[in-house]
Amino acid sequence: MHSPFHAAFWIALLVGIASGSVGPFILLRRMALVGDALSHVALPGIALALFYGIDPFYGVVIFLIGAAFLIFWLEGRSRIPPDAIVGLMFTASLAIGILMLPRNDVIESLFGAFPVLSIPYLLAILASALVLSALCFVLARQFLFLIVSPDLARVHGVDRKFDLTLLVVFALIVALGIKLVGTLLMGALTIIPASIAKNVSRSMRLYVIASAALGGAISVGGVWLAGMFRFLPGPAIVLLGVALFVISLPLARRKTA
Amino acid sequence: MGPETILSVEDLGVTIDGARILHDVSFTLGQGEALAVVGPNGAGKTVLFRALLGLLPHSGIVQWREGLKIGYVPQRFSVDPSAPISAKEFFLLQSASFWRPTAAFIEHLDCELTLMGLDRSVLSKSLGELSGGETQRLLMAWAMLQHPGVLLLDEPTAAVDLGFEETVYAVLHRVQEERGTALLLISHDLNVVYRYAQRVLCLNKTVVCQGPPVETLNQPALTTLYGEAGLYQHPHQH
Repeated sequence: MHSPFHAAFWIALLVGIASGSVGPFILLRRMALVGDALSHVALPGIALALFYGIDPFYGVVIFLIGAAFLIFWLEGRSRIPPDAIVGLMFTASLAIGILMLPRNDVIESLFGAFPVLSIPYLLAILASALVLSALCFVLARQFLFLIVSPDLARVHGVDRKFDLTLLVVFALIVALGIKLVGTLLMGALTIIPASIAKNVSRSMRLYVIASAALGGAISVGGVWLAGMFRFLPGPAIVLLGVALFVISLPLARRKTA
Repeated sequence: MGPETILSVEDLGVTIDGARILHDVSFTLGQGEALAVVGPNGAGKTVLFRALLGLLPHSGIVQWREGLKIGYVPQRFSVDPSAPISAKEFFLLQSASFWRPTAAFIEHLDCELTLMGLDRSVLSKSLGELSGGETQRLLMAWAMLQHPGVLLLDEPTAAVDLGFEETVYAVLHRVQEERGTALLLISHDLNVVYRYAQRVLCLNKTVVCQGPPVETLNQPALTTLYGEAGLYQHPHQH
């Protein structure tokens, strides 16, 4: 019915769009590095799931949502600098995951692969990606309100639970892409399209739309390159994204000129 | 006798990290009334506003009239200058339809901008591009957009030039008269307090004095509030 390449193409398109949709909010919350490192937390989840013989996806989801709650909790405590703790914990997760993972699964878990999936499984991933993208658009006002001014947002009835919603949406999008892009690089897929789109956008609405479109385009382009040259899809997607980011830099200078 | 009370504060206290910032603060605010909060730096004026808005945990009672819309102009407002957020989108945060604003919303927005002396061309600028004065006026137009029953203004003219300061207070006075909006205003400028406030609340960790400005702000009260140096030598920090 479908080849791993076709599955990769559709996942790349829809999870890429979802990554691009959530990326602007993560970037504007100054969480690019935290977001990038969040995907590392999935690795012990994969290892534990493999150990207990269950689908690694469930391990990934549980660990990533746990990490989203942890970041939210840390942000609510002004005495603790979240970036240092998150950086340490996420890097530790990576180290623990590597030690726990069976050798054969290490490269695939870190850098992704062309996934072999049943049709229902594939459809569930694609439908989830669509729903999560839609959520980013529907809740854009609340997400942005909390970024612009948490105080004004709260006075207007937009409370911190939307921050938690954003983090959980972000964690779920990362979870959806991990099979294709890998735990080490998936976080980057959410940040790169948003970084490029930021260089060329003058309004938030255009920014989110451009970032979503770029997320889809970069991911599909990366999968195509990986298929052509027999690369792993994760590195191909990330490198294509970084190349486009470099090209977009002069546009950023023009925008501010 | 007095106007209907829209805010009643009883024995308000705020403690942050073990330090008592405010204690035993009690006052009321009537509909359409202008109440100025004065006091030295570190007196807890901004903390008072944040507690009233529910942004800080506090002891005591803060009772707003049910269903009252509140507009707030914070002292500090800064957005990442590189963030591509247009001024129009900043206003759209208050609209139910962020992606497709209605014509009525935009029309209403134009009116509020005109009131604050802003041209609609400001809407296409990104928030990071605006000057300090433009941002301050934009914030005031933003706070007034939904015609709130009360406006909390934390040093609203701190970033605007002297010429425009008069306009700001004239607009506030007009809004107070025409819309019956109550004003709760932090100001360092006693002239403003005398001219525009019906009542003054002198704050230095607690209420030092309150009442009509002319009667309340006498020399002993000012000395208690600001020390021997007096108000006019009081450092103005922006």
